[in-house]
Amino acid sequence: MKKNTLLLLCLLLCGVKAHSFCGFYAARSDVKLFNKTSQVILVRNGERTTVTMSSDFQGNVRDFAMVIPVPTVLQEQDIRVTERRIFDQLDAYSAPRLAEYFDEPLCQGRLRAYPESTVKRSAAVMESDNALSEEKADYKVAVLARYTVGEYDVEILNAQESNGLERWLNDHGYKIPEGAEEVLEPYIRSNMKFFVVKVNLDNFNAGSTELLRPLQIRFSSPKFMLPIRLGMANGEGSQDMIVYSFTQNGRIETTNYRSLRMPTDRQVPVFTKENFGAFYTALYKRNLQKEGADNVFLEYAWDISGQSAVKCDPCPSQPPLFQEILSAGVDWLQSNSWGQYSGSLFFTRLHVTYNRKDFPQDLVFQETPDRSNFQCRYVIRHPAPYTENCSEWNDYQTKKIAERKQELRELQALTGWDITQHRDYPYYFNGYRVKTSRDERTGSTTQNCEAPEKIAAIQMEPAKRDSDTSTLVAVQQQAFIPSEKSESAPEPFPYSTIAMLTVTGLFLYHRFRS
Amino acid sequence: MLKKMISAGSRLNALYCSDARHYQISFLSIFLLAGLFRLHWPLSYAQIFITLTATLSTQYIALRLLRLPMDGLKSALITSLSLCLLFRSDHLVVVALAGILSITSKYLLRQGGKHFFNPANFGICASILLTGKAWISPGQWGSEGLWLMVVGVLGMLVVTRAKRSDLALSFLLAFGGCMFIRMYCWQEWPADALLHVFSNGALLLFTFFMITDPVSTPQHPIARKLWALAAGCLAFYLQAYQWVNGAPLWALFMLSFITPLVDHFIKARKYAWTNKTNTLNENTKNIQIA
Repeated sequence: MKKNTLLLLCLLLCGVKAHSFCGFYAARSDVKLFNKTSQVILVRNGERTTVTMSSDFQGNVRDFAMVIPVPTVLQEQDIRVTERRIFDQLDAYSAPRLAEYFDEPLCQGRLRAYPESTVKRSAAVMESDNALSEEKADYKVAVLARYTVGEYDVEILNAQESNGLERWLNDHGYKIPEGAEEVLEPYIRSNMKFFVVKVNLDNFNAGSTELLRPLQIRFSSPKFMLPIRLGMANGEGSQDMIVYSFTQNGRIETTNYRSLRMPTDRQVPVFTKENFGAFYTALYKRNLQKEGADNVFLEYAWDISGQSAVKCDPCPSQPPLFQEILSAGVDWLQSNSWGQYSGSLFFTRLHVTYNRKDFPQDLVFQETPDRSNFQCRYVIRHPAPYTENCSEWNDYQTKKIAERKQELRELQALTGWDITQHRDYPYYFNGYRVKTSRDERTGSTTQNCEAPEKIAAIQMEPAKRDSDTSTLVAVQQQAFIPSEKSESAPEPFPYSTIAMLTVTGLFLYHRFRS
Repeated sequence: MLKKMISAGSRLNALYCSDARHYQISFLSIFLLAGLFRLHWPLSYAQIFITLTATLSTQYIALRLLRLPMDGLKSALITSLSLCLLFRSDHLVVVALAGILSITSKYLLRQGGKHFFNPANFGICASILLTGKAWISPGQWGSEGLWLMVVGVLGMLVVTRAKRSDLALSFLLAFGGCMFIRMYCWQEWPADALLHVFSNGALLLFTFFMITDPVSTPQHPIARKLWALAAGCLAFYLQAYQWVNGAPLWALFMLSFITPLVDHFIKARKYAWTNKTNTLNENTKNIQIA
């Protein structure tokens, strides 16, 4: 039967420490591995798929190894190493961004906002840890091919039983986590080959401080998926993965898990800028709690075709250039002068945090014809500088205080952070602090944050670094330490239970009626 | 006063229960609301509006031209709700096209006095094939365990009213059986991976709301069961071996081509939606177009 060829490619990395993108690293001895969020670039054109995997392996290269199941015997020209900077550039280009706006000075023309080139991006990093184990020998494994590609030694294996494969791997220096055997079995039964990688020490400059370069493989198969299950063989806890994709037609999405858009275009307090990374991590985690752990999140989707004029808005970094796109495996574009290109191209960035319980199946993707642009964008808006004797100022200030209160509420809703310590934020801007009626009465700096109407006798006074305002400054500096209790998951509304009860009621009613 | 209210209530209830389509409309609407407000589908109100307008107006025109009772609008409403739930496109023209194709298929693709394509299924598949600007999102439902139960029980309720649960069960038997043998017995995937395949809202919606359509499926009871078994096997083949997304929809679309042949060779009484017409149909020919 053609079953084997139809059973397409599955790709997985296996080894000791379950840290990597679609699988786990195989360390060849017990070393402390540290791996940040794993990253994968998928390029899909018809049935041709190119997968580039970045390894953040930071131990001794002697201990590096990985195992990837593939559907066919890969030829030497289907395997190559690429530059790490593609990942850095794609991450910089597509990461959630903070756009900064400044309100224009009053009484000097109309109030208007303009985007600033200052754009911050987040580096949400989540890690996990795993244990390892060993076992012994006698196996039915055939080595189908052997290549040396860059600093890697590659072997293609054909296994007949998971037990044998596991022993082979163990005896050849790949420590396989306990429980890997039953995870390997489905891939062997699907007649997949195993692509095993170690570092060739002769080719790798031992004194080099550089990380291992990403490995890229290419194959033809109708199956468009990333095997994540092997990476969770002994996995307790979650692993974080970013998937970048280049396609011709449009956005990619998962077909067996829900693909959700992250909350976007929210105006948040100005102080978010100082720790945007922590902000986005908290937002992501909260969203994961709110929407359920078994979801995949869309962080970026953009039409970056040659003819597309706006390739990002605002741009945290330069959009990918022709040379980078080419090295990621895109082969359908035509080069123009100055790094430009022509042809249809769509870029997607997905973020997934997977674990054994919530992700029982591998990730299966589909390319949709959806070409609408999406980005994770948060906005901060600096207030206008104080203008003396300006008739518009009071209105502006009242409006601004309400706006800033809303920003605080937004921050709380997005991240779950405790905002009570920022009660002064709405009244404190551009080195000035709004003086409230209560201030005058009590002489205290504690602001009344309930409603703008309660703020009477609005006037600006320069902020003084005396005992009054120092608390305020201190509050601003420690702004980003979320309190423990505010991190707790929001209580989900019991829609499902209510629906179940209604249905059961209806069902019983009709049963007894008839 | 209380008596009056009770009698009015029971009259209303009798009216509601007289037609299985009322159930379908209610439940599909609940799904749509859940999708919009709970699951945050990227579904615009404009798309919902265009779908409703396109299907209902096409149906209205057809009913006027053929001088048929306006009762048929209920079916068009079900079709448009199914389209909203399953069909995704960025282009409102494609959305409108899907609605129009769905309804026109009911009047153009007919044999033996009845249509043989499920209208929503035809609208979805034909629009994707013709324009390439639309898609199905099988993953949009997530897989919350309770939702599976909710959709399953709701669906069951509808099909027991429409007396076509044999179709749903045959389909599930074939599709689930094949998946079970391949994934669990042969490939040795763990049980939760297998369960994950079935805890998919799109599959359950299809099973209990689309393939159970009593009009477009074969009329003879045994032929119908065999036909559903074949649909299940075909869906399994497309999903497991061809990696087709939304395989059950495509399987139904393909098998609908042979429905007229099945009906031609294995004769049986035609189905009618309402209780009243159903009894009338014991002896007379049914012209109901649902």
